[in-house]
Amino acid sequence: MKLYETTIIYDPGLEEARINEELDRVTGPIAQAGGEVVEVQRWGKKKLAYNIKKRRDGTYIHVKHKSPATLIGEMDRRFRLNESVLRHLTVLAPKESPRAAEDAAKAETAARTEGDLRPEPAPTAAE
Amino acid sequence: MARDGESRSYRRKFCKLCFDKVDRIDYKDDRRLSRFITDRGKIVPRRISGTCARHQAQITEAVKRARILALLPFTSDQYR
Repeated sequence: MKLYETTIIYDPGLEEARINEELDRVTGPIAQAGGEVVEVQRWGKKKLAYNIKKRRDGTYIHVKHKSPATLIGEMDRRFRLNESVLRHLTVLAPKESPRAAEDAAKAETAARTEGDLRPEPAPTAAE
Repeated sequence: MARDGESRSYRRKFCKLCFDKVDRIDYKDDRRLSRFITDRGKIVPRRISGTCARHQAQITEAVKRARILALLPFTSDQYR
């Protein structure tokens, strides 16, 4: 199974409980299909660079997961049918190299000092 | 008076990302990517930014992904 990164932009009108519910609908099938949810990042409400479905903001959720390839198509289909999902993107996660991990850590600290909303990443095994 | 070419101070362009020893450009890093798009949202060509081929390819990929996630604009509406 490959490691994927899925970012979902939900309608900003959804309250916390609804978001959690929606998130369960993403993580549930992953576990069911024998995959693994590696990390869930909540970026919170962010301003969109352009309006989507007449919304100016979106609630961003970023999920790192190991899933069977067949599930990715199914996930995509479900996101398309889901009216609360403004936008979604699934890409292959970059292969972990020591340099990349270092860069990511540096970028995170830099972002945090500038008051970024993204939460502290979970410590990786390499650290 | 100095002739054309001599009057302009000339500085060799270099790849800023190689200089910073960046291994991989992340599509989620919109702050870094925003340095490589114009105020209209276009990707800055290599001949202007001086970026090396490897990094330019990475920027292109990352900017396109960031646009899908509305982290970066496809275009700026103030010019529409």
